[in-house]
Amino acid sequence: MGSNKDRASIHRKGAGVIAATMAFTVATAGATGASAAAPRRGAASEALTIWVDSARLPMAKAYAKTHPGVDVKIVTFDGGANGDGSIESKVALFNRIGRGWPDIIFSEEANDVQRLAAPQFQNFSAVLNKGLVPDKVLSGYAKGALYPCMVGGKLECLRNDMAFDVLWVNMPLMKQWGYTVPSTWQQWQAIGESVAKNHPGYIVGTAGDSFDDSIYLQAAQCPVNEVVNAYTVLDNPNDPHCTRMGKLLDPLLTDKSLPVVYSLASTFGKQYANKTLMLIGPAWYSGAIFEGTGSEFNSPKGTWAAYPPLAWGSPTARAFTGDVGGGLWIMSSHAANPKLTAQAMTWLATSTTSQDLSQGYPGYVPAARSWIAQQDKSQFFAKPLAPTFAKAVGEVWTGWSESQWDVYGLWASNVLPNLASGSTFSSQIPVLASQISNAAAVAGFQVVTKR
Amino acid sequence: MTVTTSLPAPGRALRRPGSGLAGGRRRAGYLFVSLYVVLLVLFGVAPTAYALYLSLTRPGSKWAGLHNFLATAHDYRFVPALEHIAVYLLVWLVVLVVLVLLLALLLHGGIKKLVPVFRFLFYIPGALAGSASVLVWLFMLDPPISPWHPVESLFHLSSLPQVVEPGHLPFIFAMIAFWTGAGGWIVVMNGALNNISDEVLESARIDGANAVQVALRVKLPLIRKWVVYMVILAFAAGTQLFVEPTLVSTASFGEVSQFWSPNQLAYYTAFTEANFNYAAAISVDLLIVCALVAGLLVFRSKLFEIE
Repeated sequence: MGSNKDRASIHRKGAGVIAATMAFTVATAGATGASAAAPRRGAASEALTIWVDSARLPMAKAYAKTHPGVDVKIVTFDGGANGDGSIESKVALFNRIGRGWPDIIFSEEANDVQRLAAPQFQNFSAVLNKGLVPDKVLSGYAKGALYPCMVGGKLECLRNDMAFDVLWVNMPLMKQWGYTVPSTWQQWQAIGESVAKNHPGYIVGTAGDSFDDSIYLQAAQCPVNEVVNAYTVLDNPNDPHCTRMGKLLDPLLTDKSLPVVYSLASTFGKQYANKTLMLIGPAWYSGAIFEGTGSEFNSPKGTWAAYPPLAWGSPTARAFTGDVGGGLWIMSSHAANPKLTAQAMTWLATSTTSQDLSQGYPGYVPAARSWIAQQDKSQFFAKPLAPTFAKAVGEVWTGWSESQWDVYGLWASNVLPNLASGSTFSSQIPVLASQISNAAAVAGFQVVTKR
Repeated sequence: MTVTTSLPAPGRALRRPGSGLAGGRRRAGYLFVSLYVVLLVLFGVAPTAYALYLSLTRPGSKWAGLHNFLATAHDYRFVPALEHIAVYLLVWLVVLVVLVLLLALLLHGGIKKLVPVFRFLFYIPGALAGSASVLVWLFMLDPPISPWHPVESLFHLSSLPQVVEPGHLPFIFAMIAFWTGAGGWIVVMNGALNNISDEVLESARIDGANAVQVALRVKLPLIRKWVVYMVILAFAAGTQLFVEPTLVSTASFGEVSQFWSPNQLAYYTAFTEANFNYAAAISVDLLIVCALVAGLLVFRSKLFEIE
């Protein structure tokens, strides 16, 4: 908030000019974003500029160390976290001045490639499946891993890590209270109601995150954000797959066993580290919530275990799960040396040297095997993560599309406040659908309710 | 035949423009404002002209007429953003004017020895950088770590998602803005009150006015132009609200929309959707509103008339 205290000039006519100019200046000052722009250096063909967030910095440094012949300039930025649009803002500015693009960008947002596919970004992302990245590399990816990278038939990024949801269980507490680990949503709900009744204050999940739409609605196969073809999105909140999940969650919101709190806020651990029986959440909860001093709970060894995604109705039914993010490696179509850039990006996204440093489950299968073996070596979790993760990675429901609009942002700003003030989950699915419809229309999409 | 000879006014014939003491003062005046004028043109007038140009054109510099203005006005995010900022301005300006004047008058009428101490205390929050002071508030708002947790509990607020509900935001942002910006204005108003001649105040007292009457009937009318000046700048700053909702949006993991205020919407449109023309149109909308309100206040209050 600005405040001018230019007392000396207040009684002079000149102050009118000053005041008016201030009003004009602030009125037109819409753009104040700090720039992390890395100016392109010279014309050295063996030079690369790589933008990464702090979590991916070790990977970029590992590339620089193992490729001494390449002049690597590493720039750290926020990775476009929480859909803040930092990548788009920089690309838009570089497009305006016609220079300055980095060669490789790491994005924390799974929909950034879709955003960058909008015409105004002038084909920033390089197309990788037309010779830049070998087919044998692409075929090594887990099923569905490259789905967020597909724009039409063109592959425009490489997936770093997968973010499928699993069931996280507090094993000592589960045993102490005599519950059986659930394998269906209905069993999980029954435990939630029992916990609310017999152990008030304890929780079986959370419902205050921007990505809860993905955790619950994607797992239920709710078709509110399925891009069915170019510029058409299927958005039907009245589909039974949507309403059934709403009905299942409503009682748990009421009895507080599913509280509306941010699971990634620094206060979550303080409130719930010793009050959580189960969580449904992404694979990266392992490090973010449970393991290590930087995690929310910093739980003792052997407390938590991961179980496969819940099925609907019957334990033998095919389970589907949500996909909460997962980072992307994006290559600039303006790269001076496309071959070298593509090789570097492939190394970052698929090599075990790089991916062993990943914070999430790698999308590239050989790297994932190495990564999960490293994770399980510490025996921090009550049972190995590998079998659960290997099963869950193939159960992501692909009817929940990555899109130009930020569905997490729409959920967070339009639905979460209502949930926090006591609205039911059921009542908020149409709210999300309506917001998606608005955002899709702004992006030039047609909205349909039937396939 | 009558010959009328008019004599030059004293001094006029002796001091040609550009010479002597007056000329020297004039040159010094130009010199002093020249740097400001250069910066004003570079960072004030030129960007404004560029924004006007962008708002009236399409990508590729094609003439667009009012298309950008109409398209942004029909954007589903535009009207809510205007509503948010209107409610915020209402809360913020009323709170600012009432409390700043109240505290400034109390300060001016208080014990003289304590005035410098309170003036310093009022000013301290304003000395913090804008974003840093907003971050302080993020801690103040989050119930599990807030020192005001007992007060928040009275309103049944136990988590940040509840605290930052849409209905609370204008009040939260007004609180932050007051805390960070009002101290400076209290000091300014105190300065204005100090300019009132003691004789005027003494005369009022001799005429039988008590302290409240002196404050309301003598002091306030004499600092009226300063209040108008404050309202003009606070209105301009308020319509540009950006830092507060942006930081609270980040802290709330998106619960506060990234396009809560029109200025945020302009930023989002420019840099996330890469539509600079639409963003310029929204900025020009704000410019027009600010200029109209400033003009209205200036002319109604005769702000720049020299008495």
